[in-house]
Amino acid sequence: MKGKYHITIENRRIRYEFTIRRNITVIRGDSASGKTQLLEMIRAFNRQNGDSGVTLQCGVPCIVLDSVRWEYTLASLSQSIVFIDEGNPFVSSDEFARTVRSSDNYFVIITRDSLPNLPYSVDEIYGIRTSSKYAGLKKTYNELYRLYGNVSSGQLPLVKMAVIEDSNAGFEFFDAVLQNRLPCVSAGGKSAIPALLRKEAPDRMILMIADGAAFGAEMENIERLMEAGYKIALYLPESFEWTILSSGLVDDTETAEILAHPEDFIESTKYTSWEQFFTALLIQKTDKTYLRYSKRKLNRVYLQEKERNAILDTMSALGPLLE
Amino acid sequence: MLHIHFGSMEGEIYDPATYFLNQYDDEWITSDLAKEMVRDVDRSEIISSRVIDSPVLGPITPRELSGGVKTLILMAFDDSGRIFNASACGDNCAKWILEIAKTKDLTVTLHNIMKFNFSPLEIHILNTGETVHSFREYVCTAIDYV
Repeated sequence: MKGKYHITIENRRIRYEFTIRRNITVIRGDSASGKTQLLEMIRAFNRQNGDSGVTLQCGVPCIVLDSVRWEYTLASLSQSIVFIDEGNPFVSSDEFARTVRSSDNYFVIITRDSLPNLPYSVDEIYGIRTSSKYAGLKKTYNELYRLYGNVSSGQLPLVKMAVIEDSNAGFEFFDAVLQNRLPCVSAGGKSAIPALLRKEAPDRMILMIADGAAFGAEMENIERLMEAGYKIALYLPESFEWTILSSGLVDDTETAEILAHPEDFIESTKYTSWEQFFTALLIQKTDKTYLRYSKRKLNRVYLQEKERNAILDTMSALGPLLE
Repeated sequence: MLHIHFGSMEGEIYDPATYFLNQYDDEWITSDLAKEMVRDVDRSEIISSRVIDSPVLGPITPRELSGGVKTLILMAFDDSGRIFNASACGDNCAKWILEIAKTKDLTVTLHNIMKFNFSPLEIHILNTGETVHSFREYVCTAIDYV
């Protein structure tokens, strides 16, 4: 399944309106924000369509998946948006993660569990809030809002060290470009980052660079460390490969079109996260060229002045560190 | 005192909202504590044991309270010895969990790091056996388990 889907769900009292862009979306946040009510309305529509009094508009079916025999229900669904309410422990299971990875459905999961088995994006973690656009009207209008933002540039001059999620090409690039300014450490994988930050960040500002496309599971723990006083600045581009593609070094119309609206090109059955897609795309686009890309080892061409500067130009958020 | 086990544990009720539907008592609903928690978290007023006035949904029953408030009410009043999953509660329930734990030994599970950003703080972490006394200490301990 690919594409983005605008969804409106309403009854006489409440209206929800939001867009789903990727295969995995997570909704969490405060109690009583309307998460379960959203699911109740979809469930009512599933049972009786318009006769339920609920109006649901979406380009594909929206289905609520409950825990009883979830595997069988899911096997019968295709090209649908599957909503899962909190209270379903199966969402943390390996079996569910395997199913999602090969599914041609999109999933909207309501949970506060971190779901480390699923590579979801920091950009697709939402809370629900009442829209101020319609304040004062009798009906309550609810919308999704992103829980996590990106780097705050005000913190960058204070950074004393960089922690890079990647241990291969991405790390080699950042280590080379930051070497005269900052020591760089590879975390050797995203799950090791929170413990590494706990060790390194209590007394000095740490810049953490990770692939936002698959970093969703770690975000709450990082946020908690920051709330507890740890000094952490975040830089979370989609992925290192996305950064290279965005630099214009691969200059073709198709790449530009894909970058403008990736959701229309990324098939969920083939790529569980956008990070995997952009890696495959970069390898394909640079094959048999001087820019030939390998994730395992950085092609030194990317450290030549012209290529390096083109990539750095895409990282405007890191400006104060790169001048 | 509040005792937290990070991750699943035997006897845990992972989905307290469903447990609540089948076990709640009318008397719990009309208690002063329940009224305060419902007013603060759900922004609703308990009229009687079976009627609650919600500004969004209109008149509702206890069955339509938020999952967070249902879990808080169970933590406060259920005496079955069950251990409830506090991750069914949002961060806006954290102060009430600490409030309930002032009057009894309350054991809960957590599958995320709830924002107990309060001072003073005293939480016994069952995974390590240690008692933490600050939000920072709490986060640093929790991060190894969730």
